[in-house]
Amino acid sequence: MPSEKLDLLQGTLDLMVLQTLRTMGPLHGYGIARRIEQVGSGDILLNQGTIYASLVRLLQGKWISAEWGTSENNRRAKYYALTARGRKRLEADARNWQRVADIMDRFLSSPPSTKGA
Amino acid sequence: MIPALDRLLARFRAAFHKPELDADFDKELAHHADMLTEQYIAEGMPPAQARRQARLELGGIEQTRELHRETRSLPWFEQLGLDLRYTARLFQRERGFTLIALAIIAIGVGLNTSVFSLVNTVLLRPLPFPQAEQFVWITNGPPETPRDNLSAVTHRVDAYEGLQESNRTLDHLEAYEPFSLRRTFRLNRDNGSPETVNSIMVSHGMFPLLGMQPYLGRFFTAEDALPNGPPTVVLSYQFWQNRFGGNRSIVGETIRINNTPVEILGVAPRLDAFASSFYPAVRIDCYAPLVNDNRRTWGNTLALVGRMKPGITIDQARADLALAMETTRANRPSLGDYPRANVLALHDHIAGSLRQPLLFLSVAAGLLLAIVAFNLGGLLLARGAARGKELALRTALGAGNNRILRQLFTESATLVVVGSLMGTVLAAGMIYFLATKSSVAIPLLQSVRLDAASLGFTLLLSAVTAVCCGLAPAWRLSCRRDPGFAALKDEGRGATASRGIMRVRSFLVVTEIALACGLVITAGLVMRSLHNVLELELGYEPENLTAVRIDLISSDEHTADYLYTMIDRVEALPGVSAAGFTDCIPIERDRSWGISALDNPEDEDSRRDGTGAHVRLVSAGLLEAMGTRIIAGRSFNRTDGADREAIIINQTLARRFWPNQSAVGNYVRQNGNAMRVIGVAEDVRHRGPEITAGREMYMTNRSWGGTSWDLMIRSALPHNTLMRSVRATLQEIDPTLPLTQAREMSTLVDHANSARRLMASLVTGFAGMALGLAALGLYGVISYTVTQRRKEIGIRMALGATSGRVSREIVSRTLQLTVWGVGVGLLGALAAGRLMDAILFGVSSFDPMTYVITSLSVVACSLFAGYLPAREASRIDPVHALRTD
Repeated sequence: MPSEKLDLLQGTLDLMVLQTLRTMGPLHGYGIARRIEQVGSGDILLNQGTIYASLVRLLQGKWISAEWGTSENNRRAKYYALTARGRKRLEADARNWQRVADIMDRFLSSPPSTKGA
Repeated sequence: MIPALDRLLARFRAAFHKPELDADFDKELAHHADMLTEQYIAEGMPPAQARRQARLELGGIEQTRELHRETRSLPWFEQLGLDLRYTARLFQRERGFTLIALAIIAIGVGLNTSVFSLVNTVLLRPLPFPQAEQFVWITNGPPETPRDNLSAVTHRVDAYEGLQESNRTLDHLEAYEPFSLRRTFRLNRDNGSPETVNSIMVSHGMFPLLGMQPYLGRFFTAEDALPNGPPTVVLSYQFWQNRFGGNRSIVGETIRINNTPVEILGVAPRLDAFASSFYPAVRIDCYAPLVNDNRRTWGNTLALVGRMKPGITIDQARADLALAMETTRANRPSLGDYPRANVLALHDHIAGSLRQPLLFLSVAAGLLLAIVAFNLGGLLLARGAARGKELALRTALGAGNNRILRQLFTESATLVVVGSLMGTVLAAGMIYFLATKSSVAIPLLQSVRLDAASLGFTLLLSAVTAVCCGLAPAWRLSCRRDPGFAALKDEGRGATASRGIMRVRSFLVVTEIALACGLVITAGLVMRSLHNVLELELGYEPENLTAVRIDLISSDEHTADYLYTMIDRVEALPGVSAAGFTDCIPIERDRSWGISALDNPEDEDSRRDGTGAHVRLVSAGLLEAMGTRIIAGRSFNRTDGADREAIIINQTLARRFWPNQSAVGNYVRQNGNAMRVIGVAEDVRHRGPEITAGREMYMTNRSWGGTSWDLMIRSALPHNTLMRSVRATLQEIDPTLPLTQAREMSTLVDHANSARRLMASLVTGFAGMALGLAALGLYGVISYTVTQRRKEIGIRMALGATSGRVSREIVSRTLQLTVWGVGVGLLGALAAGRLMDAILFGVSSFDPMTYVITSLSVVACSLFAGYLPAREASRIDPVHALRTD
């Protein structure tokens, strides 16, 4: 099974994290990982530990902010939220990614059933 | 760009907050793992398997932590911090080693930086003038004339003006009057005690040409240099500070010099490019404008400094000025056929004679630094070998070769960086002392400073040192072929793995001894040169001789009697054995006049062999006070010279005129007078100890008058005691006499020897350090051998070897290394001998005596270094040595 899963391209994880935070609002690491796996519906090979490398990268670049809070089941968890800078980056990266995908799409001319995002 | 910068800063910050951030992340990760576990349990897994699955899903707890750390921080930076902290702990533990290493580096780097700053200022950097490379020095007389024979180097006013008019290659030609500095004047202020001042005349364009700006007021203009104009002066910064207390309102004020009112125009800058280039460590109180007409009838008086037009080469200038001098001679027949215009780059004139000594000094300093680096390398290797077990342990625990190399290099680099910083401070101190506190006669010395070039040089030096004595041993140590437990075990036996290190160390020590031996030989030669200079027969006795400057307001026929009154009063003082006047004190003043032998005193045409000779106008008793011996005939009495009929000449001049007979009783012609030689005096090394005496003549103060005299007093009394009574006595005669310039002749001679003395003490210091370092290195190697072979020695002693035999063996090993080192050192010194010729005096660079004595002292020193471990070896207790491991 794992061999059929898609290995994440460098940089795509950051974009997914940003997009997750935009759609879901502030969320902790576990929540983000769950959400990405759900959206990928089992197609993505995600080592959940790498989420944290992505998070600290985004945090240090001030694209997201972090705050300790209390989770739905009353546990202490660190919540991440999109900043204005992060929103801007997400838009730019998404546009860019879209264009790359479109070009690849046209280039390969016979589109298989891949996701456009 | 901004997010990238934010991120970089955050990563640096993270490096300093590792524990907090780790704790924070652990909580976060624990939350994640808990949530995953709960999720799997909810999906129906047994709890133990769920926990395992959660860890798998995260890609391993420890790996996730590591990934987080690497992403959030800068791994190399954290490692550096770690290495530095470890290094600091290590240095604290090994305080003795650290202090020795730091001191060695600091001295090595400090000395090299100082020497470089000196070389850079004096030789490498252009002179401190605008367009400095275009400056030329134009001399008179045959080109081989010694540079300090002023009368032959300088030009007449007419020649100066002629060159100014007819040259085509210079855009400026300026002059100063070097003789004027040697004349002093009496300065009076309305309210204040009288003062002796040294002033020098410069043409009005000189300061602007040198790019100097007045500190206060203004410099001279063409109007100030007009004949019969109102007299003006510019004060030197030091004189203004010392005598006028830095009073800024002094500009425009009038002082009286020799009773003439003189206006102060301004103050020269503190860093006086003129004084520091042409008169290093000589006191100049004020500058006066050169008025050409006042010197027109005099002989050669002007030193010429020119600046070539842009694009003109020195050869073009040389050809052009030769032509200009021909034109000048044709237009001014009074000049005669003698004057020339020799062109020399000004930098060569000022610093040329220092090139060899300074080059030599840099080589010596460089050698010392090499010894420092080798020594440090040896120390680090030795310490590294002793740490073999620790390093092996770290390798066994998973540290790679690179990691260990980095750790070792961090240690040595830290030593070098801290040592170099200390060395820089040391250099700053030495440079400050040399530039402001010492009075060594080296041009431009005052402008030596620790500038960007010197700091860059230090940086380069430290980098090279760090690589040589840090990287090499670190690499050697980290590249052991059998990492891990083999080394761990091996080291315990005290043994063979370090044989390679031992070989490297022996090689280093032999090199150190060789370099030290070379330096010690050099120092021996330089010290012998200094000794030779100090032991020279000067032709006078500078010890217990004081020179008091007496400036008269005017000179007339009563002057001679007036001077004799002073001599009588001073000679009557207790403790004074002799006194006399001269207008030409050794070291400072000199000039030459023409003279020829006269075969028949009645016939002017019988004169022959005209030449120049140095003139000293003296009173009766002066030669006795100076301690200059009369070789033949008699000395002056107080009535001699009234009709310009008596003269004394020195041996050199006597030999020239009358090589095969006594000069006494013969006649000479001088300035139109036929004079009888009444005596022959011994030669005097007048211009400085290292300059051989030239032709000299003495005439009395009745023959020629003068206004500026030195009263030479011979007395064994302490200077201050003597001067108190002399001052009181002379001021009874004339209360307005300043008497502020009273110097001990021995001080003046010391000053003339100052550059050589500085050189000798530096080189001796270098050699001493080098020898000490080499001995230290040798001691290190030998005592290491003894420690390594402790057990073996113990066994042999248990089997009956005597302690004498053991220590003999150790000493012979020492001797072996030493002989190699000394041999190589001797060869090196012989090969480099020529380099030193220029700085030696009265000793050959291959002087066998010096070679033998210095090599023996190196051997003795080495044997002492080897004796200590040998003694230790002989005291090894076999039982104890065999039991301990």
